[in-house]
Amino acid sequence: MSYDLFRQMIQDWANAGYLPEALAYGFVVNALLAGLMIGPVLGGLGTLVVVKRFAFFSEAVGHAALTAVAIGILLGEPYTGPYGSLFGYCLLFGILLNFLRNRTGLSPDTLIGVFLSVSLALGASLLLMLAGKINVHILENVLFGSVLTVSAEDLLVLGIVALLVVALAVPLYNRIMLASFNPQLAAVRGVAVKTLDYLFVVLVTLVTVAAVKVIGAILVGALLVIPAAAARLVSQSLKGFFFASVIIATLSTLLGILLPIVLDLPVPSGAAIILVAGLCFALAALARALVPRLQGNPA
Amino acid sequence: MTAAAKLASAGGPRIDFAGIDLTLGRTRILEQVQFSVAAGSVHAIVGPNGGGKSSLIKTLLGQMPHQGQLTVHWPSAAEVIGYVPQALEFDRGLPMTVDDFMAAMCQRRPAFLGLSRRVRGAIDQALAQVGMLDKRKRRMGALSGGERQRVLLAQGLIPPPQLLVLDEPMSALDEAGIQVFEQLLHAWRAAGTTVLWIEHDLQAVLRLADRVTGLSRQVLFDAPPAEALTPERLLSLFSVHPRSEGVA
Repeated sequence: MSYDLFRQMIQDWANAGYLPEALAYGFVVNALLAGLMIGPVLGGLGTLVVVKRFAFFSEAVGHAALTAVAIGILLGEPYTGPYGSLFGYCLLFGILLNFLRNRTGLSPDTLIGVFLSVSLALGASLLLMLAGKINVHILENVLFGSVLTVSAEDLLVLGIVALLVVALAVPLYNRIMLASFNPQLAAVRGVAVKTLDYLFVVLVTLVTVAAVKVIGAILVGALLVIPAAAARLVSQSLKGFFFASVIIATLSTLLGILLPIVLDLPVPSGAAIILVAGLCFALAALARALVPRLQGNPA
Repeated sequence: MTAAAKLASAGGPRIDFAGIDLTLGRTRILEQVQFSVAAGSVHAIVGPNGGGKSSLIKTLLGQMPHQGQLTVHWPSAAEVIGYVPQALEFDRGLPMTVDDFMAAMCQRRPAFLGLSRRVRGAIDQALAQVGMLDKRKRRMGALSGGERQRVLLAQGLIPPPQLLVLDEPMSALDEAGIQVFEQLLHAWRAAGTTVLWIEHDLQAVLRLADRVTGLSRQVLFDAPPAEALTPERLLSLFSVHPRSEGVA
């Protein structure tokens, strides 16, 4: 069954009243399917981002996507999905950053600060140069995400990236985590610490780029951080941490896509997703403050 | 089952350090380091901070480019090295229990899916040996320094190592923890495991090691502890400008 037939079936069921009314629109089905892929993958990978203290890095890669879009449009890629430049520039950004982190001895936050600002300056310059040539509303979509423009091609890219990330990150989860606890111990246990660091950078970059369409360049990094941070506040084990992060990220993505449509709010999907995730974080912080058991161990 | 049987391994390797030089930038870290670690012995390394002890360990573990000849004579094809670091770098608030940590160390299956059946027995046994079985559901960040050190010792037991490298394992241990460590050390010796042990506590070295090497950039002494740990030698080892006796 082709994807078009599947989508049509969902729309028919929504029209017949079996499913919520919003699903009668093809773009909503596309966006929700994208959300169902983005949420669990970003939520799960986010736990490693928090463990490895890569939050600032994932934010920076998201922002690099802005520059990548500008480069793509300049090079003549379609402005609705300049995936060549997005993957190319962001991967270059991430890998170069990691390479220099290993070579310069600068602390990661200093180096990311340099990369982020230079990349943003480049992106801003290019976008302003382009402003006369393209519809500036396109930039809004790139910056803050849009559910209206998620195409079957975007879903395919997202699906491939999601599969790749799951296939690599799940079997290597322990090793990626171990490498950050004590590189020497990890190496003795047969972990290729530096290679895994690069792999992790690549995975974060891939998933970030694939999610830019729905969440937007400005906020995509936040979905790698906020759900995991909220889950960390209320979990007592890695199991709880991982699955709570996946659930919060998925719930935030789906609600962030649906709520503006159902409530007819002129809010971009990316902002809505992050606001829902932020609310989850606030609730988690509140729960931790009110429930003593969440603050430590049972005796 | 005796503690020694639990730790049974194929017997440890002999290690020969011959003329090891290590320079980082412009700093000479190790200079013509030459000594041997006998197979199945408990060999302590003592010396001042910055004397090159940790660098020597890194060199042994293949993580430092060095000059000179470092040979490990493995008695069998299986080459299992265990390592107990001094500390772990992790966010103390991380929701990672002792079980989660052991799972992350010892199994391929992601730790968030719980302990795999294949390693559960070994992990149970290792935690029991270090007296941490009843604290396995505690968060790593909520443990005391000594308790965390015991967990680090426990991970060093899986898989049973032929060569075990210990980096100041007693630094955070309390009295009960020190007893646990001493029992483990006896068991390793009985199992024929080669133990290379960096230690600051000279009393413990005197009591427990088979041989001790004093390292301050170069080898200042290398002998059985009772012979090596004399006041004169220790004075020389821990003074700013040590003089080598050229003992190998």
